[in-house]
Amino acid sequence: MNKRRLIKGLERIVGRGAVLHHPDDLLVFEYDGSVDRAAPTAVVFPTSTHEVSDVVALAHREGIPVVPRGAGTGLSGGSIAVEGGIEIALTRMRRILKIDAANRIAIVEPGLVNLDLSQATARFGLFFAPDPSSQRACTIGGNVAENAGGPHCLRYGVTTNHVIGLEVVLEDGSVVSLGDRFLGWPGYDLVGAFVGSEGTMGVVTRVVARLLPVPQAVRTLLAVFPTVDQASSAVSRVIGSGMVPTALEMMDSLAIKAADASVHAGYPKEAGAVLLVEVDGLTEAVEEEAAEVQQVCERHQPIEIRTATDPLEREKLWAARKGVLGALGHLAPNYSMGDGTVPRTRLPEVMARVGEISKEFGLPIANVLHAGDGNLHPAVLFDERNPDETRRAYEAGGEILKLCVEVGGALTGEHGIGLEKQEYMPLMFSADDLEAMAGLKVAFGTGDLLNPGKIFPTGKSLPGASQSAAVGRAGAGAYI
Amino acid sequence: MTVTDVKALAEALTNAVGPENVMHETAGYSIDGAVPSIVVLPKSIESLSSAMAAASEFGAATAPWGGGTRMALGNTIQRLDVVADLSGLDRVVQHTPGDLTVTVEAGVTLARLQETLREHSQFLGLDPPLPQRATVGGTLATAVSGPAKWQYMSPRDVVIGMKVVSADGTVTKSGGQVVKNVSGYDMSRLHVGGLGTLGIIVEVSFKLTPTPRREATLLASYPSTTDCLKASLEIFGSQVVPLGMATLDSAANERAGVASVDDARLLAVRLAGRPMTLDRQLRDSTAICRDAGAAAVERLDDDAAASLWRRVSDFGWDERTAPTIGCRASLVPSALPEVVADLEQIGTSLGLTPAIVCHPAHGTVLAHWFAQDGSVGTGGLTAMLSAAGDSVRGAAGHMVIDRCPAEVKAGLDVFGDAGDSLPIMKSLKEQYDPGNLLNPGRYAGRI
Repeated sequence: MNKRRLIKGLERIVGRGAVLHHPDDLLVFEYDGSVDRAAPTAVVFPTSTHEVSDVVALAHREGIPVVPRGAGTGLSGGSIAVEGGIEIALTRMRRILKIDAANRIAIVEPGLVNLDLSQATARFGLFFAPDPSSQRACTIGGNVAENAGGPHCLRYGVTTNHVIGLEVVLEDGSVVSLGDRFLGWPGYDLVGAFVGSEGTMGVVTRVVARLLPVPQAVRTLLAVFPTVDQASSAVSRVIGSGMVPTALEMMDSLAIKAADASVHAGYPKEAGAVLLVEVDGLTEAVEEEAAEVQQVCERHQPIEIRTATDPLEREKLWAARKGVLGALGHLAPNYSMGDGTVPRTRLPEVMARVGEISKEFGLPIANVLHAGDGNLHPAVLFDERNPDETRRAYEAGGEILKLCVEVGGALTGEHGIGLEKQEYMPLMFSADDLEAMAGLKVAFGTGDLLNPGKIFPTGKSLPGASQSAAVGRAGAGAYI
Repeated sequence: MTVTDVKALAEALTNAVGPENVMHETAGYSIDGAVPSIVVLPKSIESLSSAMAAASEFGAATAPWGGGTRMALGNTIQRLDVVADLSGLDRVVQHTPGDLTVTVEAGVTLARLQETLREHSQFLGLDPPLPQRATVGGTLATAVSGPAKWQYMSPRDVVIGMKVVSADGTVTKSGGQVVKNVSGYDMSRLHVGGLGTLGIIVEVSFKLTPTPRREATLLASYPSTTDCLKASLEIFGSQVVPLGMATLDSAANERAGVASVDDARLLAVRLAGRPMTLDRQLRDSTAICRDAGAAAVERLDDDAAASLWRRVSDFGWDERTAPTIGCRASLVPSALPEVVADLEQIGTSLGLTPAIVCHPAHGTVLAHWFAQDGSVGTGGLTAMLSAAGDSVRGAAGHMVIDRCPAEVKAGLDVFGDAGDSLPIMKSLKEQYDPGNLLNPGRYAGRI
């Protein structure tokens, strides 16, 4: 099928105003929040399951790849049309179909922005727990595809723990419902298998999300330590003494320096690490837990501890953490961001090793961590105009991934494998493991057309300079 | 077709696992009357893998077996040659208390695991019936849990990594030992609740929860089931976050021996936290229970509370309380009062006595019917089940039959209708067990 006929076919399904195909219009759809880029042939904006189904069926008949896309905030290349084809942008399917407060569920379309759901359910005293840092922009459908996490998933869990039903369009265009409005659907847990499949098994067209009661009280505590080691020990101690705060975040001195330059958080000069701890729940629970967290932190010789319960004051404590990625631009033109996870008790050792890797490769590494989960976000700082630096940056990132797997961790905690880490999969999984995973895709009827070229290793050498072209664009707008 | 050359199969399996790990006396391993030719008791994952490789060469149908507490679940097995008893896979592989994670082999019992964890003031958020016998593998394969799954969600939500042996003996893993991980597809989801039909769970990594500082249970009694359920839904809708919650109707109370109050419907709420938090939750819950018309609200601590939850959770599963028919309905919580009222009437005209337990926050109804031995025939029981199924479906719910006599089972699909996702389920089976060797026919849609 030539491009002209394809566009005509797509326009017949979704209408003329809902198809983009001019190269200038497509530019923005070449990217997501990661480093790769590739141009789709066309982008369509369906408004119903029916339209999605027709578009996918057309692509299937013609053998054209299909890539689902939410807000494009993903950090592993999940929505990049690496083999060209049709991007299905679900951002016009953003209705909340039902809020069932008595049963604590909401039924929504995939293009709904994450935060919009919690805002709509707030009047019932409920919220949607997964809160990726991009929650003002990212969509629920994208959250489902990537099994998104967020700072508060330490206590509340990630997307898969909060999604119980789905409607999806399979590669041949057929529509199936998986799960229901409650757990207990007979047969295999297809919802659980689907969440986190990165758009390779179907296009999500409807989501049944579980809601939680908005906590009565929230308290945020910020502790500044002279060294990362002390902060890491405090993290281990908090977890080890039987507390599961809602969030437990860390930044090292380089990240603090960057954040301070842009947010002016006013941290002490000698700050080596900052811990941000949040507890929520019943007023009494918050009071008791916050007191214990503070006691634990005090035992590790902090330079300073600040606390806040008022929303504005809490926002101030969070400001540096939330702005840190954008602020890295103060330190270097580019960064390459990791997402490995390690067992929490190995954090001090792993952080020390990351420091050594930084020295070995001669590049600064700024660290932002979801420390409570053992989820690292090391940002290797470099200048992409220097090819040698670029190569070393990727190699350093690869070393950190290997380190994570070596200590019993994982390649990615919340960003997904996508295009970014697929060649590293054999570090974690055997050929048999990967074959079993590939079987799942086959069972959902996926051949070569649904988000092709993702997750599974292609056998090419580990990613290196070839990906560097778009590194710069990850820059200030990215979120973790 | 069942394997005809039983002698050759036995020899191959004996070679695979060693003569000391093979049993020819198999009567204790019958599944709805089907008895295997041979039982293997591997002591390692490698040994099970060899056994499965050998069994699959013969096209032998194999059923995995944990503690044997839930073998009543499932459709009539189409054929059965080998039972793989996993009780020998009983190592706690790794427990790092500071990480709040544990990795265990599938044959470890829940009681033993919880005991190991308790020493470190941690626990696993799974509370299946009969924990002294129920194994990790069996609990996950049947996706069974008790009233505590509310806060800890469902069995699938506590699993962070899994190792599985496939029908042909291939060992594969997914996930890992960290609490947050999106590296590749989450294959464990297929096996939790998969009844061993896609592979045999052999090793599992779990995320753990710190044991609460203090705990107490409230027991409220009500003159009517509807009021009792309404109170539980009020608590579900409040800021209180119980560790677990269950309701029992008067027949369930009498049979389970939970409280010595005649004709009482009970609501049990398990609460926990630091001292002030616990007090607050006790206060709020007591007020809700009283406002909903409780005749009495009592607080239970320590042994009394533990014993109550054990009875509630084991009810319908131990020999003393096993019903003729056991069903599990799943619904939106708000539909519970209406459906339970309906189910309480069903079967009574045939001389069946219903006894109903609910886990209201999950919308789970565990309905049991008791008959005098042989007093109700297959036709009567089938009609009763059909009426119960209609009632649940009428409220847009699903019903799975956990237990019923083999003759009744032969005529129906105990899982009910898996809807338009059944073709995907069938193709999963085709992918992972193309020879149809694992628990053939026992699963939803007779997979």
